[in-house]
Amino acid sequence: MKKALSCFIRVVSFLVLIFSASAQGEVREIRILHVNDFHGFATPHRPFGSQEPAGGIAYLAALAEALRNEKPSLLLSAGDMIQGSDWANLFQGKSVVEVMNRMRFDGMVVGNHEFDFGQKVLRQRIGEARFPVLGANVEGLEVLKPYTIQDLAGIRIGIIGVVTEDTPVTTHPSNAVGLRFLAAEETVRRYVESLRNRVEVVVVLSHLGLYADRLLAERVKGIDVIVGGHSHTKVERPLRIGETVLVQAWEHGKALGVLDLALEGRKIVSARGHLEIISPALGKTDESVEALVLSYQKKVDELLEEVVGEAENDLDGENVRKRETNLGNLIADILRERAGAQVAVINGGGIRRSILKGPIRLRDVYGALPFDNYIVAVRLTGTQLRETLEHGVSRIEEEAGRFPQVSGLTFTFNPSEPPGRRVKEILVSGRPIVLDQEYVVATHDFLAAGGDGYRAFGEAVKSSKDFALIGGAMKGEKLVYSNPGQWLRDVVIEFIRSRGKVSPLLEGRIREGK
Amino acid sequence: MRVYVNDQPIDLLLGMTVRHALLRAGLLSELGSGESPFDEWGNELGLDGALAEGARIYVRMRREKRQVENH
Repeated sequence: MKKALSCFIRVVSFLVLIFSASAQGEVREIRILHVNDFHGFATPHRPFGSQEPAGGIAYLAALAEALRNEKPSLLLSAGDMIQGSDWANLFQGKSVVEVMNRMRFDGMVVGNHEFDFGQKVLRQRIGEARFPVLGANVEGLEVLKPYTIQDLAGIRIGIIGVVTEDTPVTTHPSNAVGLRFLAAEETVRRYVESLRNRVEVVVVLSHLGLYADRLLAERVKGIDVIVGGHSHTKVERPLRIGETVLVQAWEHGKALGVLDLALEGRKIVSARGHLEIISPALGKTDESVEALVLSYQKKVDELLEEVVGEAENDLDGENVRKRETNLGNLIADILRERAGAQVAVINGGGIRRSILKGPIRLRDVYGALPFDNYIVAVRLTGTQLRETLEHGVSRIEEEAGRFPQVSGLTFTFNPSEPPGRRVKEILVSGRPIVLDQEYVVATHDFLAAGGDGYRAFGEAVKSSKDFALIGGAMKGEKLVYSNPGQWLRDVVIEFIRSRGKVSPLLEGRIREGK
Repeated sequence: MRVYVNDQPIDLLLGMTVRHALLRAGLLSELGSGESPFDEWGNELGLDGALAEGARIYVRMRREKRQVENH
């Protein structure tokens, strides 16, 4: 009897101990691993301005797996994964989703660039994903879930996903037709209120950018963690605003974010984090992911050999810095047509190689147009258009890359005159230019941002007021067209595919004269 | 959209990125010499990073970890 009583007391004491430990707050630890703005940079690459190779998803995957094995973990993505490199774009993002499946991602939010291949393709990609794809503030795309609840070693974590409201203007507007992008702040507030009592940790997966994330943390109470993306910010240590912890892991798979949370009861008592820098120097790869990356890279190499059309004459990419060329004409014509513009002006320096008569392979177009430029069109006055052409021919002696290739206009210039006074006659659609009239001029983002010293586009942008999306197109005072979601070379490839054969000629668009 | 690069106002189209802001400011070529863009809180930015109205970017030398460790 005494023995039984002693045993009973011991059991009760043990239960009391357990209960009091729980009540006082047993500390439980979880880990959130995160990436954002990967943009399909699967293989190590040398970032602009750096001599060292960075990134490599197989290295990141190996490290993520090792870190995952140390404690209960989630692997999350804050968006913009499937578009942005040949390795991703040539498969419309399918390659990226396969890698994410293999890495066993636990969730992602759509970024604005997830819409770049259109809604049909996005639906396919979401269908292939073996993890929830979130978008609480997107109305009209039912395959997106507003949130997911994950159980991590007995801890319930609610994850809400929100994407920038600017999505319709940061992809092609037609990709967002029929969708509504609701205010992220109101959306998050609503779902936090709904989830707060059902979960122990509330995470917002945000593709809003760090500026918006900071405001979100200030204005919406009840968010424990914001895992961010969109601004490509290298947040080396977690930020804290009020009770909310903010993290973001740079871009292009160059870093893996690690956030360790300790909970006592329902309260986060510690949040420690850092970025693991990813590069081949890490040495260890995930062999399965590496094999997938290499198999897609092999397909990339094969696809680049694909014939997309035929050139009936040599397409001159050599003389683009000193005179009109037929390749310059072809590309400028395609820009003008795609943007619905009256005129197109591009820099010869953006064209890097000729394409010889015969079959045109994907690789030829990529070689001729290696830069990730996209098409924009703005309204310029006749005066600004004239200044643009003057600038274009201002350093012809040096064969500078600014030399223009044009469509929709012809002009003469005298290279022996001083810069700024060289351009003579300008005809737009066969008629003399009217200096105070506005013309819709297509170009690409590099020139629109002032590249090669072009200023007129920037001046037009500066004076432009707000714009609106009407019928899937951008209408504004000065901005007429912008498609950050499709590179110029891909538009050129589409054009050549649709025509089958191309035979652009010299037409006397740019003439030297007195 | 107006942003600021080294406190100079820069006007950009919506959707343009850190790269476009530096290009417009004539600072993109500086990056080859070890400089990087940072936001107003000192976080390094990727060149393809989205911008917000009123964002402030500063171009300065990166802290080289190895150098710090050697001292």
